[in-house]
Amino acid sequence: MIWIVAWKNIWRNKMRSLVVVMAIAFGLLGGIFSSAVFKGTSDQRVREAVSRETSHIQIHNKEYTEDNEVQYVIDGDRERLEEVLDTIKAIGAWSARVKFMAMAGSANAGTGVMVTGMDTEKEKQVTEIYSLIKDTCGSWFSQCKGIPVVVGQALAKKLKVRLHSKIVLTFQDMQGNLTGGAFRICGIYRTSNSVFDEMNIYVNRDDIIPLLTAKPGTCHEIAIRMNEDEKIAAVQKTLKDLFPALIVKNWKEIDQLTGMMNDIMDLYLYIFMGIILLALGFGIVNTMLMAILERTRELGMLAAIGMNKRKIFFLIMLESVFLSLTGGIIGIIMGILLTLYTRHTGINLGSFAEGFEKIGYNPMLYPSLDIIFFINLTLMVIVTGILASIYPARRALKLRPAEAIRNE
Amino acid sequence: MSIISINDLVKSYHDSAVEVHALNGINLAFEEGEFTAIVGPSGSGKTTLLNMIGGLDKPGSGTILIGDEDITQFGSRKLIDFRLHNIGFVFQSYNLIPVLTALENVEFIMHLQKVPKDKRLKRAIELLEAVGLGERVHSRPSKLSGGQQQRVAVARALASRPRFILADEPTANLDSVSTRNLLEIMEKLNHEEHITFIFSTHDKRVVDKAHRVIVLEDGKVVKDDQFQKNA
Repeated sequence: MIWIVAWKNIWRNKMRSLVVVMAIAFGLLGGIFSSAVFKGTSDQRVREAVSRETSHIQIHNKEYTEDNEVQYVIDGDRERLEEVLDTIKAIGAWSARVKFMAMAGSANAGTGVMVTGMDTEKEKQVTEIYSLIKDTCGSWFSQCKGIPVVVGQALAKKLKVRLHSKIVLTFQDMQGNLTGGAFRICGIYRTSNSVFDEMNIYVNRDDIIPLLTAKPGTCHEIAIRMNEDEKIAAVQKTLKDLFPALIVKNWKEIDQLTGMMNDIMDLYLYIFMGIILLALGFGIVNTMLMAILERTRELGMLAAIGMNKRKIFFLIMLESVFLSLTGGIIGIIMGILLTLYTRHTGINLGSFAEGFEKIGYNPMLYPSLDIIFFINLTLMVIVTGILASIYPARRALKLRPAEAIRNE
Repeated sequence: MSIISINDLVKSYHDSAVEVHALNGINLAFEEGEFTAIVGPSGSGKTTLLNMIGGLDKPGSGTILIGDEDITQFGSRKLIDFRLHNIGFVFQSYNLIPVLTALENVEFIMHLQKVPKDKRLKRAIELLEAVGLGERVHSRPSKLSGGQQQRVAVARALASRPRFILADEPTANLDSVSTRNLLEIMEKLNHEEHITFIFSTHDKRVVDKAHRVIVLEDGKVVKDDQFQKNA
């Protein structure tokens, strides 16, 4: 019955309660939507980093990770390593790459690049760079005159070259001699990371190995794409245990900034929502204090007829929680609907594309939040209601019934 | 044995460094089934005395025995529980819970006593019928007249099956018809159910119905008259 009384009590002054409920609802809506945008952006960045740049796991020669010299290839028991990679079910695909620094030059300009030479068909199962070439910008290693190369749009712009233009790559071979070759651009890709696009070019491994004077099958890096994200740590450990001479890193260790951002995102979102709820909590305290002031005589009567302090405290706490929860639920529902809608349509920040792409983020944002966030947020709203009731409830408990009853 | 026994009750307040003796050595006893009016001019100590008997305030010295228990020795938690199960209150301003219906207002005190839902519902309806509000059980206080609200308050006071009812100026806000109706109901409950009523009042109509009239002046009993009950 106290629950019913508490619920009815909050609607005594409908306008005042509605103002607080709406303040909570819109405060949470703003918080949830902002959180969804942050989280969606972070998740999107992780997805894109993994699928385009880092893959889930990479294997290298130890020296190669310290000094990207072309001679530090993955050697030793390569056959066994490939057998193991083929037998682990959690691994979806893997690609062996040669990877080295080179100078890329055109008739107009030159710049340093990272050359990745790979099996073009196997690579399609590991990274999705092939899918980021627009129809008008060529294709993934289609036949063309000369040795094909796929470059990023930002690099093409920097070198002032177009599809089918020729570029020259200059690099050291396995013996340390300066060598190079002319390549024909068969495709121009564009990710949401312009720095990556400017730095990375792709060639066929079979085309580049003779120029490197390396043995057939030479590789500097094995990139692994997992079927199940949650098994990354287990697979990494297995590979480390089996091949202790090699360096096995997961995507968080490779792209530390993205990994850290992803790790602290949840904590950040909860701190953000906590600050919003703290501000709203003061509004609830104020409303509850006014309600208690108005009901001094009634609270005195309740104490006089035998309602004990615990129950009076509980009554006020329930009123505060109901007030918070009503606003909270409305705000959460509005937040979910707005998140779902914008997740469907996306938020196009195209006018800021250049800035976003320079830091590796896609200007098309897709907000996202998981169910756990909403469950925790509901609990935070309840806790806010409880905390906001403490001061008003203590004020109510200090009332002396004999005096309170006579209050006008 | 008296239902209430008050011995050497003293209560003083400090008002701007001046000590005011609200009650100054009160000795009284109340028997079960009494219909008593405590009268006196404003500031004579009527309400203070009622607050002491009801356990809403603590005396400076003296004892208040209800049955054989001295409630001046109770801690606040025990006192609240004692009030809930032993004392019914009727206030001048009715003090009903505005968001609850008449039925729920009467039921609420039994809820505090942990009476099962079906039993408290049955008793609340019986009591509201007894005070002539059988047709208005689902009305909220704002839809009832002052007299009807005070009758709900009487039903609420009776709901906890108290040993006595304390009524502080119960007719002060009522018109003459409502006062007459209320007094008839309380008189009937006193006569038929043997319920003990103690009023503080200025109202001559209440005094006329009382079987015992105690006059207070300056915190002292100056007169204590008993009258023959009407048959």
